[in-house]
Amino acid sequence: MKLILTGILAGLLAATAAHADEMVFTSWGGTTQEAQTKSWAAPFEASSGIKVLQDGPTDYGKLKAMVEGGGVAWDVVDVEMDFAIKAAKDGLLEPIDFNVVPKADLDPRFTTDHAVGSFYYSFVLAWNKGAVSGEPTGWADMFDLTKFPGKRTFYKWSAPGVIEIALLADGVPADKLYPLDLDRAFKKLDTIKSEIVWWDSGAQSQQLIASGEAAFGQLWNGRVFALKQDGADVGASWNQNMTAADVLVIPKGSKNKASAMKFLAAATSPKSQAMFAEASGYAPINTAAKAEMPADVVKSLPDAYVDGQINLDMSYWAENRDTIAERWYAWQAK
Amino acid sequence: MSGNLLHRPPILRRPDGTGGALPALTLITLFFVVPVLALLLRSVTEPVPGLQNYAILFGDGTYARVFFNTFLVATVVTAVTVIVAFPVAWMLAIMPPALGSIVFGIIILSMWTNLLTRTYAWMVLLQRTGVINRMLMDVGLISEPLPLINNLTGVTIGMVYIMLPFMILPLVGTLRAIDPMTLRAAALCGASPFDAFRRILLPLSLPGIAAGGLMVFVMSLGYFVTPTLLGGTSNMMLAGMIAQMIQSLLNWGLGSAAAFILLLVTMALYALQLRLVGAKRMTGGI
Amino acid sequence: MLLDYDRLGWLRAALLGFTGLVAAFLLLPVVFIVLLSFGSSRWLAFPPPSWTLKWYEELFADPAWLNAALTSARIATMAAILAVIIGLMASFALVRGQFRGRNTLRGLLLTPMVLPVVVFAIAIYAFFLRIGLGGTTAGFVIAHTVLALPFAIIPITAALEGFDKSIEDAAIVCGASPFEAKLRVTLPAIKIGIFSAAIFAFLASWDEVVVAIFMASPTLQTLPVKIWGSLRQDLSPVIAAASSLLVLLTLGLMVVTALIRRKLSK
Repeated sequence: MKLILTGILAGLLAATAAHADEMVFTSWGGTTQEAQTKSWAAPFEASSGIKVLQDGPTDYGKLKAMVEGGGVAWDVVDVEMDFAIKAAKDGLLEPIDFNVVPKADLDPRFTTDHAVGSFYYSFVLAWNKGAVSGEPTGWADMFDLTKFPGKRTFYKWSAPGVIEIALLADGVPADKLYPLDLDRAFKKLDTIKSEIVWWDSGAQSQQLIASGEAAFGQLWNGRVFALKQDGADVGASWNQNMTAADVLVIPKGSKNKASAMKFLAAATSPKSQAMFAEASGYAPINTAAKAEMPADVVKSLPDAYVDGQINLDMSYWAENRDTIAERWYAWQAK
Repeated sequence: MSGNLLHRPPILRRPDGTGGALPALTLITLFFVVPVLALLLRSVTEPVPGLQNYAILFGDGTYARVFFNTFLVATVVTAVTVIVAFPVAWMLAIMPPALGSIVFGIIILSMWTNLLTRTYAWMVLLQRTGVINRMLMDVGLISEPLPLINNLTGVTIGMVYIMLPFMILPLVGTLRAIDPMTLRAAALCGASPFDAFRRILLPLSLPGIAAGGLMVFVMSLGYFVTPTLLGGTSNMMLAGMIAQMIQSLLNWGLGSAAAFILLLVTMALYALQLRLVGAKRMTGGI
Repeated sequence: MLLDYDRLGWLRAALLGFTGLVAAFLLLPVVFIVLLSFGSSRWLAFPPPSWTLKWYEELFADPAWLNAALTSARIATMAAILAVIIGLMASFALVRGQFRGRNTLRGLLLTPMVLPVVVFAIAIYAFFLRIGLGGTTAGFVIAHTVLALPFAIIPITAALEGFDKSIEDAAIVCGASPFEAKLRVTLPAIKIGIFSAAIFAFLASWDEVVVAIFMASPTLQTLPVKIWGSLRQDLSPVIAAASSLLVLLTLGLMVVTALIRRKLSK
């Protein structure tokens, strides 16, 4: 009996926090995080001797609770840019030390005092060739139930993208999207609501399209890229593709801040960014990265589809994140 | 039975191990009651002190809908579970043991198989391109895939699946305790099988049905995993909404308020259950 | 009549048929998951284009799965042992104690079983972050012990209620100390209850997802957290392979349990 109790106590006391030469990187999992591990973490481990533990998926609620509760387990987190801007305002993030992280070549669109770019991506229209007759050519087709019947899939969480898609489909010109006309967007979305299947993770969006569970949908370009590489029978349209960015942040109170800064420097370096772009199909946020990439990869990135491209307005979203989210979830629950 | 202390020889005249409850009480107080109370405190202190979170929850049609959905799902799940469980429990109570142990084995296997695994299997089985729709279409019963997932149907199938053992097992106990003679007597007196069922078997098993049903209802009210994976956004339940408020909206105040409401309802039903059947027999089956 | 298996007539066939259907319903996902784990489709198409063992190879090639299983086993074992010891002590008080509020206490100790686990999960997560137990094995074990306690108390109190205390008294009259009498007489008599308690408490922790999702850290992932993560992140059939092994483990556990029960009841 005593032995058992001692055993339990010993087990209980064995703390499990990351050790001195370790840090934790948290991202969204799936093929994207695999590419981040391979292109950023592995070379960084080799050169710095700091072990990078992978965690995920990113969970904003957990991040906030960790910072407020003082038990921050994550050192570098991949988040959506609008969240980063809001979180910085709420005091949840450490400022970036640009003495450690070279700023010169970083795309200023995705660099703030509290965040550096991770990668940037486009929402594109993808479809399962077996489930769709004809070729959808733009977002408006996703709202045309007679010409393109079937389930369509959209990103479930309140984030830049779907509202804009609805407005574009309803005829709002691309340069007049902001401020967003929410009433109009929800009214447009109502017309296809019964046919919408929501995806809540990149992997799910891939599974829905690849299996034909949904005929078409709004997907991250990198996920479509992976599907095609996997031999799935999917088509994609870059018409009116919408760019948004993920950024890397350090939660306030990170226990391995110094390592985290070094990791940011490594992850945003031209070489790491080029490797990641090649593996994931997402665009680099370091302007010097293109020189490091094969020409055919450069051609497949969102950069190559600037014609008709729409840049989602991250600062508008950061500003209005909470009010939109409230309406978004209320509308979904109806 | 502990017997009456006064009638016992002095050497045995001590209440037995009352202090033994202390470790359990400490554990529950420190790591259950205190954290839950601390959470509830946030509902009246965040973002500012006051009852505004509750005002929002009760003042908004969306949340009313979620409350309604929660009760709807719990009610449907409980009703279906009772209806499906009763005949099975009935058979199990009187089946030859050899046959019965196979059915019991299957029940235990399903109950002990990882919860996520079972839900994952249902996800794949029920989707539009899933096995069930494919089979029904091949047989020619339907021409279009039935919407079996991301809606009330999906949640009901998944939850009934999980709840069935919790209903069947206690019911078997109740049914076994009924004296078959009662029913034989009824038959002798000329009661038709239907009459005997309606007027004797059913009333006699009602306590078991009530206990199991209440248990299933309470468990369904707060269920999280299955509705999240098998339900759609338009039949969100309270537990899912609480998680969303905290994880996506980062609103601990509102989330805590919703948690408090869920807690109140659950505790009220739990108290009712303790009253009805006593804590002892609450979970007869497990 | 209605409770006489041999005299049910046509009703018996109907009820047996229905029972068979329900049994098939209960078995369906379990069998299906095993089949799925051998299918070659990355995107869960079924029936699959061909059959393969590659998901098992991937499963064994990824140490994270095995680590998660070991973590789960370690936490569940500790939680089960604690829950059984604490639950055993509490059960004596609950069954034999003569104090006021005994029923209230029983109700309180069983509450973790009925309180929606989401509420407990966010409560304990915020609480542990504050007191520095977030993401630690200790925190995990404590949280799971709380959840497992009711599952330990129920079978033990049931066994204790069925045990005639005068046998224990007899031992005391014959000179045994009360503690000795409990250890040598009572515990062996209720061993099946204690054994059930251990199994249920273990399963309560082993299969627990919601608290685990919040408590998990990169260095501390239980199996359900790993499965949940894979479900949300890659939806790969590796989950089916892992699940199939779990089904196998469950079957093994059932056999062992049946054998031990038989031995204990002799």
